Amino acid sequence: MNINGVHIDDSFAEAFNMRGTRVIITAQNLKWAYNAANAMTGFATSVIGCGVEAGIESELTSDKTPDGRPGVSVLMFAMGSKVLMQQLETRMGQCILTCPTAAAFSGIASEDQISLGKHLRYFGDGNQVSKLIPDANGVNQRYWRIPVMDGEFLTQETTGMVRAIGGGNFLVLGTSQPQVLAACEAAIEAMKKIPNVIMPFPGGVVRSGSKVGSKYPKMFASTNDAFCPTLKGVVKTELDMDIESVMEIVIDGLTFEDIALSMKVGIEAACSLGASAGIKRISAGNYGGKLGQHHFKLHQILQGNLTGATTHE
Amino acid sequence: MSELIFTLRPAVTHLVDCRALTPNMLSGKALAEIKALRLSAQHTVADVFDVTGEDVTHIIFKQARAVIHYVGYQMKAGQIIIEGDAGDFIGAAMQGGVLVCKGDVGERAGDSMRRGMLLIEGDAGEYCASSMKAGTLGVLGKTGTRLGYGMKRGTLLLAQAPAAQATWLDCGWHTLPFLDILYKSFKTLDSRFATITQMRVQRWMGDVSGLGKAEILVLA
Repeated sequence: MNINGVHIDDSFAEAFNMRGTRVIITAQNLKWAYNAANAMTGFATSVIGCGVEAGIESELTSDKTPDGRPGVSVLMFAMGSKVLMQQLETRMGQCILTCPTAAAFSGIASEDQISLGKHLRYFGDGNQVSKLIPDANGVNQRYWRIPVMDGEFLTQETTGMVRAIGGGNFLVLGTSQPQVLAACEAAIEAMKKIPNVIMPFPGGVVRSGSKVGSKYPKMFASTNDAFCPTLKGVVKTELDMDIESVMEIVIDGLTFEDIALSMKVGIEAACSLGASAGIKRISAGNYGGKLGQHHFKLHQILQGNLTGATTHE
Repeated sequence: MSELIFTLRPAVTHLVDCRALTPNMLSGKALAEIKALRLSAQHTVADVFDVTGEDVTHIIFKQARAVIHYVGYQMKAGQIIIEGDAGDFIGAAMQGGVLVCKGDVGERAGDSMRRGMLLIEGDAGEYCASSMKAGTLGVLGKTGTRLGYGMKRGTLLLAQAPAAQATWLDCGWHTLPFLDILYKSFKTLDSRFATITQMRVQRWMGDVSGLGKAEILVLA
């Protein structure tokens, strides 16, 4: 398969079952909503070291938020419900409660509810106020008003937790570092428009793809040497001699279709720069297909088949 | 399903206890059963009201006057609209739902209320929100003396400034973000409360003769 002179490997991305949640962060203006959300989603690139993977999903105009102020929606993913709950509470307490004018609301409906302000309310030291207010559907929602130095911190009591998928990915291989980065930037710009997904790494791009295991017994993951261009003469490489740089885009999303669509859009955007701009190959990261429950086959996705038929339970 | 409508008969001058006429008390009852309910030893529902409709979760009192008392007592959910005035203990011990009175109410509106919204478009008599435990009580008209007497928690939203009271403490003027959410919930109602947009309120806390965790928010 070939798009605009870029070879598409007959490979697949291997992804895992995760738990996810969405939080709506609002503030006096977008600048402060971003300040809060950037703090909340900071140090949340990979579950391996950060506990959760989180990112800003989209901007919301004031008519799309519960309190009529501008905001952003944040998606957060973890390998299990317990760690997701812990991380959400910690990040709410340190990043949203602390941020001037910020408020937090549930962004996703689910039978499984996890704490947003349920425990944070005790920061009010007895002066916190509960309000039970019906939403547009007449369903009562509980909010907490916590007195803080800038006025009142408003937060909904809980948000929904849903089953989700983490670890969708593709690799961009090219003839120079600046060219590959430019293709990844184009891909991220296009993928940001897709709802229900985030790309949790810095700027959406990761340069340190890993393999399972290491020569050092204490390390369970190490650099993906088969895709390291400076090692291509000495290891069992996946790279041709003209490949000088490889970068990866990792995607977490609410459903298989969401991730598949964002991969399609991202790969097409990266390929739009073409072979003449130094973009040579698109591949994907997997572990041989035995670890992850979900396989995102590049050829199928690029042919428009975005369904989860390839999911392996 | 059409709303369940109780139209007060013009000839009724005695006090009418409406405790039995809430969504939870009427749940599962047919129109004939509702009409036959006893409101007192002397009177059935049909003696006092013309009754039409079937949706017990949406109740309307029409041609209401101050003779009807305890409307919405211990109501748990649903909606009651009073078109006209009402007597004492409106929304007393309310546990949920929405109760709107388009006219004036008597004494002790929202007494011991625990949850839900009680919205009074007219004036409220003495001891409004007495011993209120939680919930939201709004009054667009004037309020009587001993407002929020013994009120523990909950929000009293007033369009007109009340008389100063020794056991309520002024916390100053504030712009409170939660009001936008509260006002949005008003927008679904056929009520003058739906037109409120003012986010800036004067906050009083009290009743400090007791727990003192309740608030009066004044729009004026």
